[in-house]
Amino acid sequence: MNMTTDRLTGAFFLLFGLAMFFFVIPEYVEDVDRGNLSPKTMPNVTSWVIAVCGSLLVLRPTTHQAPDARFFIQATIYVALLGVAIYAMTLVGFMYVAPVLALILMIMIGERRPLWLALGVVVIPAAIWVLVTQLLERALPG
Amino acid sequence: MVDFSIILAGFGDVFTPINLLFVVFGVVLGQFVGAVPGIGPVMAMAIAIPFTFGLDPLPAIAFLVGVNKGGLVGGAVPAVLMNTPGTPDAAATAMDGFPLAQQGKPLKATKMALFSSVTGDTFSDIVLITVSAPLAILALKMGPVEIVALMVFAFSIISGLMGESLIKGVIAAALGLMFSFIGTDPEHFTPRLIFGYWDLFDGLALPSVAIGMLAISEILRRMSDSHNSAGQGFLPPDSGNPEDRRVSWAEYWSCRYTMVRGATIGTILGALPGIGSTAAAFMSYAMTKTASKDPDSFGKGNLHGIAATESANSAVVGANLIPLLTLGIPGSVTAALIISAFMIHGMQPGPLLFQNQGRLVYGLFGAMIMANFVNLWVGQAGLRLWVKVVSAPEAVIFSSALLLCFVGVSMATNGLFGVTVMLIFAVFGLLMHSFGYSMVIFIIAFFLGPQFEKSLSQAIALLNGNLLNIYTSPVAVALLVLSALSVFWFLSKRTNAVADTTNLGVPDGETLDQKNP
Repeated sequence: MNMTTDRLTGAFFLLFGLAMFFFVIPEYVEDVDRGNLSPKTMPNVTSWVIAVCGSLLVLRPTTHQAPDARFFIQATIYVALLGVAIYAMTLVGFMYVAPVLALILMIMIGERRPLWLALGVVVIPAAIWVLVTQLLERALPG
Repeated sequence: MVDFSIILAGFGDVFTPINLLFVVFGVVLGQFVGAVPGIGPVMAMAIAIPFTFGLDPLPAIAFLVGVNKGGLVGGAVPAVLMNTPGTPDAAATAMDGFPLAQQGKPLKATKMALFSSVTGDTFSDIVLITVSAPLAILALKMGPVEIVALMVFAFSIISGLMGESLIKGVIAAALGLMFSFIGTDPEHFTPRLIFGYWDLFDGLALPSVAIGMLAISEILRRMSDSHNSAGQGFLPPDSGNPEDRRVSWAEYWSCRYTMVRGATIGTILGALPGIGSTAAAFMSYAMTKTASKDPDSFGKGNLHGIAATESANSAVVGANLIPLLTLGIPGSVTAALIISAFMIHGMQPGPLLFQNQGRLVYGLFGAMIMANFVNLWVGQAGLRLWVKVVSAPEAVIFSSALLLCFVGVSMATNGLFGVTVMLIFAVFGLLMHSFGYSMVIFIIAFFLGPQFEKSLSQAIALLNGNLLNIYTSPVAVALLVLSALSVFWFLSKRTNAVADTTNLGVPDGETLDQKNP
């Protein structure tokens, strides 16, 4: 059984917990002397829990196996696409980005039938526009 | 505690046309999304919550309850027809439902699932209505010290029961707590871990985190897993015999003990934090098979198998609300979503809810009962339609769900910053899922974090700055001892048996292949 995955994530959480305790929390959490519970107390305790559990995981890994590299490459492409879409929404708004995003996503997934593509590209964004702006009287993103 | 007139008024509120309409709408939507493999009621609820902002509290909550209940019924449809459970809960249903469908009886199998689901659900709702108010009176006697101890106990149970390893469960809970500390601290109101982003001053928005981790990450996972999955699934043919299309009264009545057993298991497990409906379904199935005179027929199309799983997984829904309404502690991801909807609509879950908003609570109970009847009615009328829905292309479903998530989170957080946070947590959720860390534990800890820290601060003040004075509260001591015992028990259980046939490790809202990748 492959135990490398858990050892790697355990090591990551060990380093993450230590980094939080020694660098991040001292820098980004204010110190307050008065009161019952300092703002740093709970984050510090939690950092140590993460670090200790990370080290335990290195020592006692499970047999969990992560997906293959292809899965992560595919996921990265989809995430990048969604990131670009969010950025584009800040520039031109949801109504222009949504049909393009839907079309690219559907083609990437493998849909080629024109009627289903039309439903996803035209009907769904239009229905969202009606629901949000006309019925709920709220603004669309962008 | 609550006047009888308030109880009656609460139940009466459900019968206004607008509230009934939203119950029906929620159930229809729930059954629809439950029938679509890949969406499910958890994702549907996560997406739907921001869209309920403009509604009054009762129709909004009734709508979400309808989505949840309808989703469990709908989830059985693809499980029976395609051996592809629409929800993890329905995986056990497929074991007997799919063979029955292959014998030319798909409608008999789906109808049995519907009837037993409604039966189990109604049973657990009655238990909820009966016990929650007295439990809330008991809960009111608890102070911050006991609440802290109770939360420690809840964390120990949830971390132990969910996911594949106690260590990973604790890491997930600690990460959830860590992210909940972002924003102002509850005692001094100083900003923490905001890294110069003042949008984070009030903390990370729950809709961004929940929708990112539960909906977007699941869509990303399925899109990255699917290879040209735009095609349609195979639907088994009907035998043509009218007897094979319906469930007779004799068949239903013969399953009465199975359904009562399933409903009881579902109600008990649902009332405990951390044990999802999937565990209840598998446990009920295993017990029914053991008790049967003909265990060999299970897995080959036995109606008792369907009745056992569906009555149990549906009974969890009502019982899940017992810790939520009485203690303010969500026991599952569904409950965490409902609690966030409560807060959006000005309801603070916990024992005071019965005192402050008793009419609304009993309105919710009424809506739950109504949703069961509507489930039965819509299920009877819509099953033939949902049979068609299971073959809808994933491409359209996923792209539409993504757009709805963008819009919903943008509405909930007033802008694209929340949408960006949602995407970050989607990536985080995807990584957690891929490496075997429970997102459900993370979200429950993230939700409970601020309350935990606030209660701890109050407890320290009450204990004169010394936590060792906790011996003054026997209840808190007992809860902490139980926490320690449960940790030892889980550790020894994990060491002795990694694989559990009852599938206790599969939590509500997580997929089975996470447990067995």
